[in-house]
Amino acid sequence: MSSTGTGIQPTPSVLEAAPSPVKASAFLGRRLPSLELALLIAALIAPLFLRDYITVYATRVLILCLFALSFDLVWGYAGILSLGQSLFFGMAGYAVALLSRDFGVGSIFAVLPVGTLVGFVAALLLAGFLLLGRHPSSVVFVSLGTMTGAYAADRLARGSQYLGGQNGIPSIQPMTIGAHELNEGPGFYYLVLAILVLIYLLSRFLVRSQFGLALAGLRENEQRIAFFGYKAQHLKAIIFAISGAIAGTAGSLYAFHEGFVWTNMLGVVMSTQVVLYVLFGGSGTLIGAVIGTAIVEGLSFWLSDNYRDIWPIILGVLLLLVILFRPLGLISLVLGERERVGYFGPSLKGRRNAAS
Amino acid sequence: MDTLLIASFEILSFGAIVVLVVLGLGIIASMMGIFNFAQGEFVLLGAYFTYLVHSVGLPVPFGILAAPVAVGALGFVLEKLVVRRFYAAPIVAMLGTYALGLIIRESVRGLTGGLYLSVPEPISGSISIGSLHFATWRGVIVTITLLVMAASHALLAYTSFGLRVRASLENPSLARAAGISTSMIYSATFAFGAALAGLAGALIVPVFSLFADLGIRFLIQGFVAVMVGGVGSFAGPVAGASLIGTFSAWLPWLMSPVIADVLVFVLAIIFIKLRPQGLISGRGVNR
Repeated sequence: MSSTGTGIQPTPSVLEAAPSPVKASAFLGRRLPSLELALLIAALIAPLFLRDYITVYATRVLILCLFALSFDLVWGYAGILSLGQSLFFGMAGYAVALLSRDFGVGSIFAVLPVGTLVGFVAALLLAGFLLLGRHPSSVVFVSLGTMTGAYAADRLARGSQYLGGQNGIPSIQPMTIGAHELNEGPGFYYLVLAILVLIYLLSRFLVRSQFGLALAGLRENEQRIAFFGYKAQHLKAIIFAISGAIAGTAGSLYAFHEGFVWTNMLGVVMSTQVVLYVLFGGSGTLIGAVIGTAIVEGLSFWLSDNYRDIWPIILGVLLLLVILFRPLGLISLVLGERERVGYFGPSLKGRRNAAS
Repeated sequence: MDTLLIASFEILSFGAIVVLVVLGLGIIASMMGIFNFAQGEFVLLGAYFTYLVHSVGLPVPFGILAAPVAVGALGFVLEKLVVRRFYAAPIVAMLGTYALGLIIRESVRGLTGGLYLSVPEPISGSISIGSLHFATWRGVIVTITLLVMAASHALLAYTSFGLRVRASLENPSLARAAGISTSMIYSATFAFGAALAGLAGALIVPVFSLFADLGIRFLIQGFVAVMVGGVGSFAGPVAGASLIGTFSAWLPWLMSPVIADVLVFVLAIIFIKLRPQGLISGRGVNR
């Protein structure tokens, strides 16, 4: 950085002022990775200290984190307000539940790919209808369309005898890895954690790539990105399908973890839940989605025992306060704007070396 | 022939209910550019208020008259406190009003204990024309809907208040320069929309009985109706609501209710995709 001062003659005051922001940004620059690492370590050692039933609850929270990631990718990074994200989550859940019920398939190597594929294909089809076309779709239309999709799926599943109607599909067999049966508890917890970390890293790579930069541009000003020659609608459809795939993975894990699927997984209740998580933690940062899920679910676990009746009201009030006073979510208390936006493309080190 | 007449009366009365619910939503969406996700909960509040008045022992018609005033006042306060912060960002407004709706809905759920509560029809019985019987209360709903529609249109099209509302919609800064307090107009418009929802809730509670998810039931329907009709005008949402209401009431006569319910929405979404500006494009209030 010192090399920048050589060409021009800066006034002494600038020279004095220059080092401190550099230091500050270098310090801030480490906050996001250290936050992520701290959370990962906490998640790794948590089951050692938690009682079994809390570990089971924590597993569910991790699965919901995965689901929240999928919504964060479309809303936080591409500005598509998908109010029907549960459609992919629930469809994948129902698909693997049927696989288990009708064909007796419970192997993880069949279940996860099928769930992911179902989510991906459903999202791709819906994106093809809602996002592609001659006229660019308005945000309100897309949110309405996705919400209607979730509502329709919920209604159809409720009315369908084959899908178990109101009661859903109960008693799914345990998931198996080879001959090993995977039951609720630490084993399942670490499996989900591994999948979450893997998908988190993949998403992190995705949103920090050139593709992620184009997405961020879409979110900020779609028209300008279109004028630059990007096919804005195609980019949106791609990220929508990817997020559907992630939601599908989460849904199939959820179905096997809970041991049953029911219509709420498909419907508007679940999709608004995920909006809550992400807004709470901070959309536009992947870690924000994870933190928001953990906080909302943690609070609800803690409060719903004693304050079951007023917990949803508290949740609503908290959400309203966050939207009003912290539109970037709780994560903005820790992360500066600069780091929240982050860098894109290949790492800056190469460029820095070339410059100096 | 008789069943046909009875069926068309059923369809008409359900259509009227949807129009009544959508009218407030449409006015707020068209005049202020805000999609109010709490609108369904304003309907719920109107219904709950009527129930409260009834349970205290006062006559139901009094509750029906008082509900729009109470809900309108609440809408006014909420606009002043919360909603006005969202005007710059309509998408955030959707999420913010959703949070508001969540608070109202869960409060009512807590207050009613999650039960289905019924309110008797203030005017019971039926009107007989020849061998046909029509429920009187549904007739009253249709009549009131027509009156409210005409009155709202007159208010927006012919009064000086309506002129100010339209001016604020058309060009806020010019309206302010002309001495119109746009923030006051926005509060009043939002309160008016809320009051219409409150009236709708009060009128339909004898038909549907009171439960916490009453509002949700109409929310998606309302939004789809506004989009089908076209945002920005007075006539658009009304036309959309009549269409959606008619289809929602008519299709269950032809096929299973579940399929009909879904089909209406899917058709509506396809229609909006093909014609994004809605049935009636254009802005403002036609005179």
